Amino acid sequence: MASFGWKRKVGERVSKSALQQFEAEAEKTGERPGAGGDRPPGEEEEDGEEVDWLHAVKRRREVLQEDCAAKSERLKSEGALLAEEGRNWEAIKKWDEAIQLTPENPLLYEMKSQVLSVLQEVFPAVEAAELAVKLKPMWWEGWQTLGRAQLSLGEAVRSFQVAVHLCPSDATLREKDLGWAQTLQRQQRAAGDKTREEAEAQRLLLDAPELRRDYDDFESDEVLEACAAVAERQRRLEVLKRTAVVLDADGNVTTVVAAAGAGPERVGAGPERVGAGPETAAAASVSQEQLVKARGL
Amino acid sequence: MSTQYSILFKQEHAHDDAIWTAAWGHSAADGSETIITGSLDDMVKVWKWSDEKLELQWNLEGHQLGVVSVDISHNGAIAASSSLDAHIRLWDLDTGKQIKSIDAGPVDAWSVAFSPDSKHIATGSHLGKVNIFGVESGKKEYSLDTRGKFILSIAYSPDGKHLASGAIDGIINIFDIATGKLLHTLEGHAMPIRSLTFSPDSQLLVTASDDGYIKIYDVQHANLAGTLSGHASWVLGVAFSPDHSHFVSSSSDKSVKVWDANSRVCVNTFFDHQDQVWSVKYNNTGSKIISAGEDRAIHIYDCPM
Repeated sequence: MASFGWKRKVGERVSKSALQQFEAEAEKTGERPGAGGDRPPGEEEEDGEEVDWLHAVKRRREVLQEDCAAKSERLKSEGALLAEEGRNWEAIKKWDEAIQLTPENPLLYEMKSQVLSVLQEVFPAVEAAELAVKLKPMWWEGWQTLGRAQLSLGEAVRSFQVAVHLCPSDATLREKDLGWAQTLQRQQRAAGDKTREEAEAQRLLLDAPELRRDYDDFESDEVLEACAAVAERQRRLEVLKRTAVVLDADGNVTTVVAAAGAGPERVGAGPERVGAGPETAAAASVSQEQLVKARGL
Repeated sequence: MSTQYSILFKQEHAHDDAIWTAAWGHSAADGSETIITGSLDDMVKVWKWSDEKLELQWNLEGHQLGVVSVDISHNGAIAASSSLDAHIRLWDLDTGKQIKSIDAGPVDAWSVAFSPDSKHIATGSHLGKVNIFGVESGKKEYSLDTRGKFILSIAYSPDGKHLASGAIDGIINIFDIATGKLLHTLEGHAMPIRSLTFSPDSQLLVTASDDGYIKIYDVQHANLAGTLSGHASWVLGVAFSPDHSHFVSSSSDKSVKVWDANSRVCVNTFFDHQDQVWSVKYNNTGSKIISAGEDRAIHIYDCPM
């Protein structure tokens, strides 16, 4: 019959190194006189009269904690060396092992987040940095790393604000990190405003007040005027659709109206503007369709 | 009049984000009591304290990147606030309107403090200069140079003779305002000084630092008169009671501690906040204490008189 030992209870999440440590510790205890050969620890209770269990367990835990800290420290340094060489995934593996040993060390999460950001693993990077600032909320560098992880999500400004508040004298943090995050935020806001404007124009077009009433005489000037008004709205929407929110080198946000057709200045002016070409064409054809439908009423 | 320390009032969710600063003012005109809070959410809020509760009076909008510091003029008519984007704004507390917006330069505003005659506002800069702005003019009138590092905290002595500044490297400087001369440089702490305050008789200076200690200095001779430990983490705020009997401190260990000014013993600890407590102040009689912090809550405590 297979005996049921504590090793069976070890979950998959405990790393190999942690497991080895436990095993080594278990062997050490097993070798003690009176504890009896290679029997599993569970059976030792029966003949444990000479063993001071209370203190043995306590001492074992202390030794284990010290070992964990030392080993975690070594893994951390190894990971740092690997990360310097650009072997990022290997570095993360080392730090994950270190985290198993010392799960309360904010530095490990912070380092891991930095490397995850390099690897463009946005969400894991944010998650790791969030753990770091949770463990050590007054550590400005943790907030800086969180901000940098959040940059591509456009949520970085608050983290950088917290970091600056904790350490206002750091020039890089204040000028580069916070400045850049603010610029991105401005760009997002401008893009958001434009989307709303477009949606509003679209709504007005589809639900034009001129088309709500019944016209008795389809040949009348009134109908012509209504059609003209609808066409004017259509034109405005198309202009809106052709504008793009662009960030210039100084970080200023401007809206640019793309010329009809693919003008030479649009090509090579950046990927987002090149991409605007076919989209504009598609949008124009859709708009034309709608105008035709509106006329059909 | 209470005979023991107790929490009197809690305003939960006073802001949408962490509250970084608070001030308690007393109107010379009608005797009303005003509390101002500034937050990471960019808002400055003006509250009336009456009938033992807080009532929101004004939402002052305009700051960007979070409000770092607020102060109220000594007649209770004007509020000053500063934000991370280095703008100082002056507000009329009767109308809730902005009087002035001062751009202090890219990194040149942190703590704001009204002079005792309320004609000037002092603020520290990143190059270790204390800039003095005219409340009336809205312009920089002069500056005092510590030749040191980023100044985090500023305090005027109530007699108007001295100005003290605390820097990010733990250095304290005391100036003579009349001559503009640097009187004392004290290497009191090894870590940032986020708050300092004079005693009402202007004889003592109390400093709070990230090193977890509170230090008391004799201003006249620049002697260290005492070092107090008790907070488990950074000391973020410190304020003297107007009757000279006590001072109060707040910390990132989530506590607010009241200290006896003579015996220098902690006489009471409030553990009512959920997170770090950024700011703590007394009212004008010393019968109440306000604290505000990361948990977005404003607390008012009763003090035995």
